[in-house]
Amino acid sequence: MIVPPRKRFGPLLLIAPAAILLGVFLVLPYLNIVVMSFRMPGQGTPYGPGFTLGNYGKFFSDFFYVQQVINTLWIGFLTTFICLVLGYPVAWQLARGASTFRALGYALVLSPLLVGIVIRSYGWTILLGNNGIINRTLTGWGLIDGPLPLMYNALGIIIALVHVFLPFMILPIMSAIQGIDPSLEAAARSLGASKVTSFRRITLPLSLPGIQAGCILVFVLSLSAYVTPSLIGGLRVKTMAVTVVDALIDTFQWPFGSALALMLSVTGAIFVVIFGRLTVMKWKA
Amino acid sequence: MSKPFFTVYCLIIYAFLLAPIAVVVIASFNAGAFLTFPPQGLSFRWYLVFFNNEVFMRAIRTSLWIATLTMVISGIIGTMAAMFYVTHAGKLKETVRVAMLAPLLLPEVLTAISLLFFVYSVGLGTQNLVGMIVGHVLITLPFVFINVSASMESYDPAWSLAAQSLGAGRFTRFRRIMLPLIKPGVIGGCLFAFIISFDVFTISFMLKGVGMSTLPIQLFDYLRTNFTPEAAAVSTCSIVLTMAVVVISEKVLGLRIHRF
Repeated sequence: MIVPPRKRFGPLLLIAPAAILLGVFLVLPYLNIVVMSFRMPGQGTPYGPGFTLGNYGKFFSDFFYVQQVINTLWIGFLTTFICLVLGYPVAWQLARGASTFRALGYALVLSPLLVGIVIRSYGWTILLGNNGIINRTLTGWGLIDGPLPLMYNALGIIIALVHVFLPFMILPIMSAIQGIDPSLEAAARSLGASKVTSFRRITLPLSLPGIQAGCILVFVLSLSAYVTPSLIGGLRVKTMAVTVVDALIDTFQWPFGSALALMLSVTGAIFVVIFGRLTVMKWKA
Repeated sequence: MSKPFFTVYCLIIYAFLLAPIAVVVIASFNAGAFLTFPPQGLSFRWYLVFFNNEVFMRAIRTSLWIATLTMVISGIIGTMAAMFYVTHAGKLKETVRVAMLAPLLLPEVLTAISLLFFVYSVGLGTQNLVGMIVGHVLITLPFVFINVSASMESYDPAWSLAAQSLGAGRFTRFRRIMLPLIKPGVIGGCLFAFIISFDVFTISFMLKGVGMSTLPIQLFDYLRTNFTPEAAAVSTCSIVLTMAVVVISEKVLGLRIHRF
């Protein structure tokens, strides 16, 4: 068979548009933001000529920003942990429960993902606000005198973040449990293990990859969440992502904003790597 | 854990997942000016206010226009990349997959910020839609890729070879053999790209030009200062639109969209 010369390059044309798009508009911008974080702050322009380490110096010398990174990480940890505790049983039911429930449950877990994040956060402001449904109902029943502080604080942000990211915890755990051969659990039971023991010794360890994926996903998503903390936290509680975006949009401090964004990403990445190492060790043990 | 207890627990979680969405829909039919629960009587007045609000209507038109453009561009690029991934990638398969999913794995805020700096650095700016569309295509590309490559897994390359041996050219083979077979994945991926683009916030927020806004941005701006049920009416229309796209694709067209 005669192979026309263009055949060798033909397939590459298929990937070329995607490769150019990702290379030019994803890789280059990410490199650019690293360079940007070392630029001089500008006077009336987004950045000035020359390079400096000052943006990182400013971050470490101002306790306000360090504190904010710690707060953001803390909110991320709590959100991830609560998602795991709330989500695991649901994931288990979706994977192993009665089939009538399964299709409906699956649809119920997925459908929130189809609703925009602004709308879902807005729903929480209706529920949690001082004049919101929860506070009005409780006041109406005479259970509380004044409104409970459910919004404009870390509590409200965590509640809403758990809601927004719970499906991202449930789905990976569900597919991990689906991948476990049910006969393993049956074997454990037939050898006299109780339901709890069989879960603790068989199902839970084998679903660890799903737990790991879900935790990393939720943690990263909650660190970088902007809409939810900004609508629920208002001006009083700000996470790092909110501070960064506001700093860039309102004050045009591009070099410093880049440094802040990168510091948050690097700290987040460090925790993800540590978490990954810990879970892999646990796996092998 | 006993079984009924377990079922009840799961039902509570499902209720938690649906609560804020249900509340928005119910609130949109509220007759009063303040959101209360239960609503003070049923009314469509906030829908009328919304339909007569030119600011929101313009934002919806912008959103639909951007989502349509995004869907077409992302659909073409994503489908081509999926074809390469399934049939030609060879040893590079895993690399291609990770690269194509990268926009989904990287924090959206960071992608949005770096893209904003980049469009200014290269002189594109944000006064045209280029930056915004590029951002939306980046974010939606993984979804097209996932759906199309999933539908191609069952495609046998021998079918293409058979067509080739019968004298069909490259494009004919694609149009007559492959496209009809992978159509469900392509349509599903495109529809999902449309929904994601219609709902995406952070990318649009960073890359919007002065005086331009999409529906989520307009809603966000409105919610910072207002609390009338008009926002609930806007949200409900947006929810109905996306749900309609999903229901039509899954029930009428019989597609199964891969969201993950």
